[in-house]
Amino acid sequence: MAILEVKHIEKNFGDTQVLSDISFSLEQGQALSIIGSSGSGKTTLLRCLNFLERPDGGNISVNGKVIFDAQDPATQSEAQIRKKRLHFGLVFQNFNLFPQYTALQNVTLARELMAKEHGGESKAQILEAGKALLKQMGLEDRAGHYPHQLSGGQQQRVAIARALAMRPDILCFDEPTSALDPELTGEVLRVIRELAVQKTTMIIVTHEMNFARDVSDQVIFMDGGVIVEQGDPQQVINHPREERTRQFLSRREG
Amino acid sequence: MLLDVTLSLLEGFGTTVELFALTLLLALPLGLIICFGSMSRFAPLRWIIKTVVWIVRGSPLLLQVLIIFYGPGLMFGLPLLPRFTAALLAFVINYACYFSEIYRGGIQSVSRGQYEAGQVLGMTKSQIFFKVTLLQVIKRIIPPMGNEWITLVKDTALVRVISVYEIIWMGESYIKKGLIWPLFYTMVFYLLFNGLLTVFFGWLEKKLDYFK
Ligand SMILES: Nc1ncnc2c1ncn2[C@@H]1O[C@H](COP(=O)(O)OP(=O)(O)OP(=O)(O)O)[C@@H](O)[C@H]1O
Ligand SMILES: [Mg+2]
Repeated sequence: MAILEVKHIEKNFGDTQVLSDISFSLEQGQALSIIGSSGSGKTTLLRCLNFLERPDGGNISVNGKVIFDAQDPATQSEAQIRKKRLHFGLVFQNFNLFPQYTALQNVTLARELMAKEHGGESKAQILEAGKALLKQMGLEDRAGHYPHQLSGGQQQRVAIARALAMRPDILCFDEPTSALDPELTGEVLRVIRELAVQKTTMIIVTHEMNFARDVSDQVIFMDGGVIVEQGDPQQVINHPREERTRQFLSRREG
Repeated sequence: MLLDVTLSLLEGFGTTVELFALTLLLALPLGLIICFGSMSRFAPLRWIIKTVVWIVRGSPLLLQVLIIFYGPGLMFGLPLLPRFTAALLAFVINYACYFSEIYRGGIQSVSRGQYEAGQVLGMTKSQIFFKVTLLQVIKRIIPPMGNEWITLVKDTALVRVISVYEIIWMGESYIKKGLIWPLFYTMVFYLLFNGLLTVFFGWLEKKLDYFK
C-alpha cells in the first residue's frame, strides 16, 4: 500500500488556477522528484502537502488514512492540521533556520516543545538524537555554531537535520540547493543521496536533472499547474514521451 | 546657593523621572495591545486603531496634554484630573501609539519563512511567537526604542503647560533672580540621564549581537 496518496488536488490563488487535478502516489522508502519550469506550481504543491496552503479540491491520504479532504471541513481545523502536518517535513529553499539558536538548538527546539506538551522523551534523549542527526549530516563539530556562522551548505544540512528530528513519514525538499553557490550544492546533494540509500521517503523538487535521475524512483514533470508526465526517472528524463517535457529538458541542456 | 539649586532641581527631576518611568511602564504593554489591534484580521478594529494612531501621531503632544487636562471639564463638566495624572494619561496614550508602530515594524520585519518553519515543525502559534519571533523582534526594535526613550525624556518638559513642576520649571525659576547657570545645570541632568540610557541600549544591542 502506498504511504502517500494524493488525489485530484486543486489550488487557486484568486482567479488563477495554480494546481489542477494533481494525483500521484508514493511507496514507503521511495524518492519522488518533481521537475518543471518556473511557475509550474511545484512549490505550491509542496506547500499544500505541508498545509502551508489549503488545497481547494482533492484529498490527501497517508498510510491509507485520509488526512485532508477539501470536501470535509472536519479534516481542516487548526488543531487537526497541526497534528497532521507532522506526517510531512519540509526543507525550504532558503533554509529558514532560527537565527538566535545554535545548530543543535535548531534541531531540538520543536521536538523539545512537543515533548513538553505530550510527555515522552527526556531532554537528554532529544539532545542525543539531535547530536546524532548533526553527525549524520557531517556537522558534529558545528553543533554550537549559530546559523550566521555557517556556510549556506552547512545551514541547509542543519535544516535537513531539523526536519528529520520530527521523524516525518515523508520529507519534502523545495529546491534545496538553488540558493547555494555551485561549489556548495554537492555536500547537500550528498546527504540527500545518503537519505535515499537509507530508504527515507522523500519528495524532492529540483532543477538538478542528473541528481533527480540517480536518486529517485519516480519523476514527475509539471507544467502550468498540471502533471504532464510521470514515471520512471530514466524514461521521463532520458526518453520523455511528451513534447512539453522534451522542450523543457532540451532548454535546460542548451 | 549651589546646594539650594541642586535640591530644587532634584525635586523637579524626580517628577521628570517619575513621569518617564510610569509612561514606559504603562505605554510599553499598551503599545503591544494596540499593535496587535492594528494587525487584526477584523477590518473595523484595524481601521479604528489606525485612525486613533494617526490622530495621536499626527498632532502635537503639547496639544494632547492640554486637551486631556481641560477637555473633560469644559466639554462634559467633569472635575479636573490631578495635573500629574492628566499629563501621564496623555503621555501614555501618545507613546503607546508610537511604540505600537515600532512593534509592528519589528514584527513585520521577521520573515514569513520563520513563521512557516515553525508551523511545519508542528509548533503552535504562541510557541512560534515566544520561541521564534519574539527575540528577533526585540533585537530589531532596540535602536528605534532607544531613540524613542530619549525623546520621551525630553518631552517630559512639556507638562509645564499644565503646571506640573518638572525640572526645567525649577531651573527657569532662577532666571527671575538673575541667574542663568541653573539652566546649564538643568541641562547636565538631562545629559547624564540620556547618557545612561544610551549606555543601557548600547549594552542591550551588544547582548543580542550573537545572532544576525
Ligand atoms: N501566494 C500566492 N498568491 C498568488 N499567486 C501565487 C502565490 N504563490 C504562488 N503563486 C503563483 O502560482 C504559480 C506557481 O507558483 P510556484 O511557486 O508554485 O511555482 P514553482 O514551480 O515553485 O516555481 P519556481 O521554479 O520558480 O520555484 C505562479 O504563477 C505564482 O505566481
Ligand atoms: Mg518554487
